[in-house]
Amino acid sequence: MNQLSFISRWNALQAREARLAWLLLFPTALIVFGLIIFPAVFSVWISFHDVGLRNLNDVFHAPFAGWSNYTRVFQDFAFKYQGPTNWGAAVTSIVYSFSSTVLTVLIGLFAALLLNRPFIGRGMTRAIFLFPYVAPIVSVAFVWRWILDPRPSGVVNDLLMRLGVIELPLGYLSTRGLALLLVIIFEAWRYFPFAMLMILARLQAIDNTLYEAAEVDGANTWQKFSFITLPELRYVLGAIFLLRLMWTFNKFDDIFLLTGGGFGTKVLPVLTYEFSFRLFDFGRGAATAMTLLVLLIVFMLIYVRVVMRNVDEQ
Amino acid sequence: MIETRRMNLIQHLAHRFSLRQIAFLLILTFFLTSILFPFYWMISSSFKTQAEIGGRQPVYIPSAIRLDAYRELFDPSHPSFQNFGANIFNSLMVSIPTALIAVILSVLGAYAIARLKFKGKNLFLNGVLMVYLLPGVLLIIPLFSMLANIGDRMGFNVQDNLSVLIVTYLAQTLPVAMYMLTNYFRTIPDEIEQAALIDGCSRLGVIWRVTLPLAIPALVSVFIYTFMIAWNEFLYALVFLNSRELFTMPIKVNTIFNDPSPRPHVVMAASTIMTIPVVVLFLALERFLEEGLTAGGVKG
Repeated sequence: MNQLSFISRWNALQAREARLAWLLLFPTALIVFGLIIFPAVFSVWISFHDVGLRNLNDVFHAPFAGWSNYTRVFQDFAFKYQGPTNWGAAVTSIVYSFSSTVLTVLIGLFAALLLNRPFIGRGMTRAIFLFPYVAPIVSVAFVWRWILDPRPSGVVNDLLMRLGVIELPLGYLSTRGLALLLVIIFEAWRYFPFAMLMILARLQAIDNTLYEAAEVDGANTWQKFSFITLPELRYVLGAIFLLRLMWTFNKFDDIFLLTGGGFGTKVLPVLTYEFSFRLFDFGRGAATAMTLLVLLIVFMLIYVRVVMRNVDEQ
Repeated sequence: MIETRRMNLIQHLAHRFSLRQIAFLLILTFFLTSILFPFYWMISSSFKTQAEIGGRQPVYIPSAIRLDAYRELFDPSHPSFQNFGANIFNSLMVSIPTALIAVILSVLGAYAIARLKFKGKNLFLNGVLMVYLLPGVLLIIPLFSMLANIGDRMGFNVQDNLSVLIVTYLAQTLPVAMYMLTNYFRTIPDEIEQAALIDGCSRLGVIWRVTLPLAIPALVSVFIYTFMIAWNEFLYALVFLNSRELFTMPIKVNTIFNDPSPRPHVVMAASTIMTIPVVVLFLALERFLEEGLTAGGVKG
């Protein structure tokens, strides 16, 4: 009898705790579901409807468009591959995000190894290394545009002309190919600190006795790196690669500010923006964004299936 | 004579440093230059005159500290006065409320997740982390039309409305903020709170009197993190703001940059003003922030 009342009181206590939990979570849940989950679903709906500026106020009665937004996106010259000189946004996006992610992770790894040893002023150096990542994107993008200025007064033009590498000033961000390369390098410059931080944290957690044992066995620096450090870092490298790839694939600001999406650097997020807020064809914009998301999800599934499973097995 | 002295210098260097140390120093110098030069260029360009900026050759060191660019930003008597003070104010009016509300809401949410038992916790966490996957450009289209509809019914304007911006920034930052705080709350021993509960404190009392004072470092880093996201944000502000008076700093800098008559020194001055608070805040609170950055895998 006594025990029973205890159990029911215990249950009541648990129910009260759950109620309190949801009460505490309610504002966050409302904002996250109302402004992220619902819009995400709603954007699937928009991508199948004809939504423009004229019916924006009455969007729920927009005419159904079937797959026409998607076919229009796929056939758009800005989207599809048209040969080696004109890649289209889909291919450009993939090339851009893969190369800049690989470069970011490599430089991040290099910087982390550099800072993992003690030296005078390491704390300060570490803090400085994070500057590109914390500074506002608008500032750093415009500084780089100013450094790469096409006029002879641009720093890079001036230096290269003095060194005799080039004779006439170049428009770096307005030359096909070069522009994409520079945007990729910019991404690595800006985001390597993120990779560096994560790798450093992991490096400092590696058991030092592993290295001592290797030294006893006569391993050189390279052997220690490839047989101890790399395997220990494998999981964190995989995770950083995935996160950075995802974010780079979705990134709008960087390319929009550096090149405006011109000269062979038009990626899917910039194309989405142009369809939606230049042409005000929201249906087509949403269809582009959905294509972006589907590409991303397909890649992630493959990645998690293949790469991460291999990591787990070893 | 000179030759032998130079030899001596090199020998001296070789004697003092090993090849490996020299390589290390060279690489470190390369990293530091490529990181710091853009920042030097930003600040030094902001102190140049129109003539120094527009010359045939770049001026590496400004002849004097000239405030022409800053006068254009702040001095009402300047012919192309930009009223940048208003933009700073707008940025603050967006960033501070975003950061404050994010801290309050994420404390409540993180506490519930770290301490209370309830059904649907994992579902909620996974749903929240979906934000990592969704591109900002995908969300902005439905948000724009949704808010336009709601705005029409409830009688507010979506465009040129700083509160709309605050709400969208909250949506972007709350998940990570909550994640960072949840991790921190889990490191605070449960026993302290249990003791307070037994002493007759209510749950909210426990949060207020016990958990919060212990979590101050984490609260500071969440505040700075959300503040920085809101301060730096570009896309949503670009879409949601139309009137020059309400522009936040990033949009204003973009406008000055795209002005038909190029004035890089003004762009650089505005960028300097926008960058310095963030970098200083970051340096001052680096210890806390790094933990947050690595724990939350901050989106950026």
